[in-house]
Amino acid sequence: MAAKFSVNDKVLVETKGSKYEGIVMPTLEGQEDVLIIKLASGYNLGIKLTKEVSVKHVGKAEKGKQPSIKPPFRKNLPSISIITTGGTITSKVDYSTGGVSPLIKPEEVFLATPELLDIVNIKKIVQPFAIWSEDMTSAEWQVIAKEVAKELNDPEVSGVMVTHGTDFLHYTASALSFILKGLNKPVAIVGGQRSSDRGSFDGGMNLICAAHYLKSNIAEVAVVMHGSTQDNFCYAIRGTNVRKMHTSRRDAFRPINELPLAKILPDGRIERMNKILNLRSDKGKVEADVKFEPKIALIKYFPGADPAILEYFMEKKYKGLIIEAAGLGQVSTNEKQKTVWTPTLKKLIKAGVFVGFTPQTIYGRIDPFVYSAGRILNEAGVCYLGNMLSETAYTKLGWVLAHSKNLEETKKLMLTNMAGELIEQILPKAFSD
Amino acid sequence: MTDYQEIGLKSGIEIHQHLATHKLFCPCPSELRQNKPDFTVKRELRPLAGELGEIDPAAIFERKQRKYYIYEAYDDTTCLVELDEEPPHLINPEALHIALLIAKMLHCKFPDIVQVMRKTVVNGSNTSGFQRTALIGYGGFIETSFGKVGIQNIYLEEDAGRRTAETPESVTFRLDRLGIAEVEIATAPDCKTPEQVKELAEKLGMLLRSTGKVRRGIGTIRQDVNVSITGHPRVELKGVQELPHMPKIVDIEIERQQDVIKKGEKIEPQVRNVKEDLTSKFLRPMAGAARMYPETDLPLIFLDSNYISNIKLPESVESVKGKLQELGLSPDLVNQLASSAELPMFLAFTKKYPKLNANLVATTMLVTPKEVKRKLQLQEFELHEDIMDKVISALDEGTIVKESVSAIMEELAKSKQKDVDSIISKYKLMSDAELKKEIAKLQKEFKGPPDKLIGVAIGKFRGKANPQKIIELLKK
Ligand SMILES: [Zn+2]
Repeated sequence: MAAKFSVNDKVLVETKGSKYEGIVMPTLEGQEDVLIIKLASGYNLGIKLTKEVSVKHVGKAEKGKQPSIKPPFRKNLPSISIITTGGTITSKVDYSTGGVSPLIKPEEVFLATPELLDIVNIKKIVQPFAIWSEDMTSAEWQVIAKEVAKELNDPEVSGVMVTHGTDFLHYTASALSFILKGLNKPVAIVGGQRSSDRGSFDGGMNLICAAHYLKSNIAEVAVVMHGSTQDNFCYAIRGTNVRKMHTSRRDAFRPINELPLAKILPDGRIERMNKILNLRSDKGKVEADVKFEPKIALIKYFPGADPAILEYFMEKKYKGLIIEAAGLGQVSTNEKQKTVWTPTLKKLIKAGVFVGFTPQTIYGRIDPFVYSAGRILNEAGVCYLGNMLSETAYTKLGWVLAHSKNLEETKKLMLTNMAGELIEQILPKAFSD
Repeated sequence: MTDYQEIGLKSGIEIHQHLATHKLFCPCPSELRQNKPDFTVKRELRPLAGELGEIDPAAIFERKQRKYYIYEAYDDTTCLVELDEEPPHLINPEALHIALLIAKMLHCKFPDIVQVMRKTVVNGSNTSGFQRTALIGYGGFIETSFGKVGIQNIYLEEDAGRRTAETPESVTFRLDRLGIAEVEIATAPDCKTPEQVKELAEKLGMLLRSTGKVRRGIGTIRQDVNVSITGHPRVELKGVQELPHMPKIVDIEIERQQDVIKKGEKIEPQVRNVKEDLTSKFLRPMAGAARMYPETDLPLIFLDSNYISNIKLPESVESVKGKLQELGLSPDLVNQLASSAELPMFLAFTKKYPKLNANLVATTMLVTPKEVKRKLQLQEFELHEDIMDKVISALDEGTIVKESVSAIMEELAKSKQKDVDSIISKYKLMSDAELKKEIAKLQKEFKGPPDKLIGVAIGKFRGKANPQKIIELLKK
């Protein structure tokens, strides 16, 4: 058995009276006693490597040629830059891990979406790193923000596209919304829910619609992805009021508490849907103000939650907490309950830790004045963040803490609208299917 | 007459058979819907590089043809898996079991490990852009009267959506069929004559039905025929509807290949569609191996050799015949039933209704539907199992008489098997009191010779009363 062979070798396998010829395919880690070969029919078949199995090396498979792509330049088209960061949209099946992994060359994205080149010129593709979005931290947001600002400040560039994994895409979208100051051009953040190695790749239309968005006059950080389960249009959704609302659907990203900024058709038609818009201008420069305080946490309040968990954050010297509170903004204030939260929260706030509440319901705003619990907590110094999404509050808090001198200022900044995250007028249409 | 040996005929078939279980990678029922879809979804598909980095010629060909696809779906029998909005669930274990059973009946070998593959399909019939398929058996054989035919491979796969409409820009597919579990049996090109091809198809069909675990009815089985003669590569003929036509189709293809060779045209392996006149037209180039890559959303399936050796094969025909004789069936019905796919249903009914005459059950299941089909000149007529059960249950309870069965089935055929209960109740027997009253009335009104009264009464109350009872009442 266990003759020496490696991936892409042509082998002849003999076992229990059966003979197979095929090409060695990679196996997953921990499955070293398994040989997967690709037969001439294209099917893969697995063989358990026991003593009776003999594997003979008979040659090497020819590697398929990857067509090389150099984006052409067309004079009449505006130019954009693309920052690729990893994720499904720029990934394909990796046969060495069996999973989906980032593309080796970011240019490969055009193999799946050549139409992009009829809409815009691609001036530059920057790939600072290629990771899944759940691996991202504020350090990566800082890198992306710097790259985006650099490209936006190129006078030839009409807008910048950031391709990104979808899981935490909305965190990056809101972080960029706070970090990028003086935004005067559109920034589109784009992901895909199906990888580019399949015919049903959804990122294709997302990229196309994002390219159209970057030609528009809307100078906002927006997530541009499928607006329905069909391949008929995308929504551009404000980076601070967007959330991944489904694990797998194409139209997982939904605007929360407001309408999308615009509906974008793949043929280039753009329909504005929201009056609150920052518009394109050629004045000034975009600055990436990247200072960020990472010692912050996002916690969900749940029935019977033990307030002792909060002590941990105090011990570890956290500077601020965002707590997803129940309903209109409640946690237990009942002194008769062992799990009452008020004393511990007071202790935290007294120690200078910022405590902000956000709605656990996702939709709607919290309000401290409806129930007595709210009044007690407000009194105790909890900051009620209105409609602000927990994820947005989290990234905003990181930015604010790095830019304020004390708790009072932090509170004031958290309650100051910076990038559309605080919505005064919630329209009824913002909560419907 | 063609000398098939001289021209080097090599022919085999591929059979696709739906399995009687829910869909392969989701819990939706394997049900073809006739009513209007609840909603549609418009999508596009992109051509892609395969695992080995090449773009498949078949994929490019398809892409050039179309712009977009419309998928028809139902609120209650389509889930996110068919809509390509959710990863596949783990493989349906019942489907795997049936496929392994079929492979075992065909004397196949089994891989240690099965990997579900994605076969790129860019004609839009799969929302994902690929069909999930797995090699579960290989290297088997089946006997025919002309000799053994090799079984090259057996695959367990999901069926594609079914085409319901087409415009120059779009094709519409209904998602009811997408994901239905099917086995594909690919035989070796061992058939040396067209007649052998036909027998092979019949034998395989019979073997599949004898499992009692395959779906029946229109669209649940498909046969493709492969034909090649010396000097011409393999041609796959799709859409072979009726087995009796098979030899003719093969002969026509042989002539076509001879013609192409004579003219010196460029010869390529290809897929052709059989038309109504049994000639065929070019459909697409043969797909290459580049269109296959692993389904990374699913784990490897380790086949346990103990599990496979414990799979029980269906009983032999001889032992089945013995059992049927014991039930008191007529020799003719024994022969019909023993190799019939209705056998499991028949045995279930005789168990469920032990007091009912087995000959009546068999006649109701096998003979009457055929008569109705002939009388109404139907292409196909088969009662759904639950409807058959209602008819037989009514016979068992004595609410209808056997003389009514064919009339009931005729009405069911006309109503497309709807309104079952009201049709059956139309043929309900009169109660004893009602019958007494009606007979008294008839006796009073009847003016003809008294010896004709019995015949008239039986005719008048046909299907409404037991003839025996009528005679008794008249004698009183
Ligand atoms: Zn389903």
